[in-house]
Amino acid sequence: MATATLTRVPTGTASATRRPRDWVGIGLWIALAISAIAWATPFVFMFLTSVKSKADVSQLSTWDLPTVWLWQNYADAVQTGDLWVTGGNSLLIALVKVPLGLLVASATAFALGRLRFRRSKLVLGLFAVGSMVPIQVALGPLFNTMLSLDLLDSRAGLLLPYLAFGIPYQVFMLYGFFKAIPDELDESARIDGASTFRVYWQICLPLARPALAALFILDFVATWNEYAMATTLLQSQSNWTIPLAVQGFSSQHATDYGALNAFIILSAVPVLIVYLMFQRYFVQGAFSGAVKG
Amino acid sequence: MSTTTSPAATDAMRSRRHRRHGNRFLAAVPYLAPAALLYGFFLVYPMLDSVRLSFFEWSGFRTEEPTFVGTDNYVRLFTADPVFWAAFRNSIIWVVLSLLVPMTLSLLLALALNRRMVGRNLFRSVFYIPAVFASITVAAMWRWIYNPTLGTVNQVLEAVGLESWSRQWLGDPDIALYSVFVAAIWQGVGFNMVLFLAGLQQVPVELVEAAKLDGARGPQIFRHVTMPALRPTFVVVLILTIISSLKVFDLVVGMTGGGPAQSTQVLALWSYTQSFSNHNFGQGGAVATVLLVISLCLVVPYLTWALKGEDR
Repeated sequence: MATATLTRVPTGTASATRRPRDWVGIGLWIALAISAIAWATPFVFMFLTSVKSKADVSQLSTWDLPTVWLWQNYADAVQTGDLWVTGGNSLLIALVKVPLGLLVASATAFALGRLRFRRSKLVLGLFAVGSMVPIQVALGPLFNTMLSLDLLDSRAGLLLPYLAFGIPYQVFMLYGFFKAIPDELDESARIDGASTFRVYWQICLPLARPALAALFILDFVATWNEYAMATTLLQSQSNWTIPLAVQGFSSQHATDYGALNAFIILSAVPVLIVYLMFQRYFVQGAFSGAVKG
Repeated sequence: MSTTTSPAATDAMRSRRHRRHGNRFLAAVPYLAPAALLYGFFLVYPMLDSVRLSFFEWSGFRTEEPTFVGTDNYVRLFTADPVFWAAFRNSIIWVVLSLLVPMTLSLLLALALNRRMVGRNLFRSVFYIPAVFASITVAAMWRWIYNPTLGTVNQVLEAVGLESWSRQWLGDPDIALYSVFVAAIWQGVGFNMVLFLAGLQQVPVELVEAAKLDGARGPQIFRHVTMPALRPTFVVVLILTIISSLKVFDLVVGMTGGGPAQSTQVLALWSYTQSFSNHNFGQGGAVATVLLVISLCLVVPYLTWALKGEDR
């Protein structure tokens, strides 16, 4: 079966005389398959452990199937880890932060890429530097700022720095897209009497839709996964986001391996759904832009 | 960076633009302001404040006023803080290893997966999916995988008769850092692979075909056609790899917390620990400043180079 499919691997060029079998291709495919299996094993063992009872975990090997499939672990994990609360917090933050951040960043990228005032490139550079400096450099003072603004341990207090830290990267990426728009397009719109805002809203933003879609996904995943800032700025468990819940669960219930693994799997479900739904944008949209500059 | 405009048109636009520069800036202000305010207040200001705090001694409690101590924190950092040097060393090791292992792996995977083959999209997904997981989640997964008695690694070693190789992967100061690094490879390869794949899409097909017609073989095509076309991608991956290596935090916190015996301590975590666990915001600020300076030394030349290419 496997060899039957393998022979269909094309040799690459149409002009080349077709050899009966592409041995290099087959070897490569086998090497890739082995690596892919190795890469996927942690997931397989996670899953197997997540449906095992405590007795099974301690008596069976990690690759053995459970004697009883204990789906109850998932229900326990949801309850013990307060998944609905923390998941709700994460979702709320992501759904406010991501669109708002893209709006603010795209406006700035538009100003820098289309309005091209003097020193606009310097301003772009100042923004870009921020995307390349470790977040941890700012955590101490950020804590103080939030304390004095009375925003410590609140979702709003996390939202503002999240916005600030997302902006530089998005400005940098969107700048490239806005700059590539032909000048004739907005000049003719202006001749027809369009305001700057209309050029931004009705010409530039729709043209950047693929980039915006890609950035939306990337930013959603990044926001959902953020840990360092959340652990600094959030304290009470009712405000926790998913990464804090994972860390809390794995340190508090470290011996309840079944539930722990179930909780880890559940915590990643939303990003997996987002990834699978928008898979194609990952390679095409944002990243080709990243490589161009 | 590759917009083409005829020189004459560029000149005309430039002179027109010059007259309107003032207007353009005023018109740009409303679009710049929200981002500039957020960025300035919640990113730039805290960073500069870290530098300021590094010249003070302060517990971080509001009841206590920071005391100015000049360069004392730095003197102590460089001469009397063994943990700082351990963290510094580990951060350097991490950067160098990241440039060697995951970057090579991801380039090889991208080259392989750029060919048409059965199951290509499935392969790509398998390698990429760990990259969408939160680092803290990956840390929790691997802490379980490394569990000395119940974890996968030691059980596999036992099953194949290599019991003598099994050990406390995260509890042995000699190897803990490398154990954490393996998890980082597992998580990080997919992202760079996608960047390389995107770069490979920009390799001109005609050039590859022409080289083949001239009798060039795989390695030659790679050296003379693919590599030069991939150069911008290399620069991006290089700079992103260095930055993300300096940022490593979640994985270490989740897997070892910097231990055992500071053997997995890194700069980003030591800054955090000094400020928040040891209540020494001055020392934390000094470590943060060192990290900031290292980052800026690497990033500013890159940005200057990248933005110079933006000239029309």
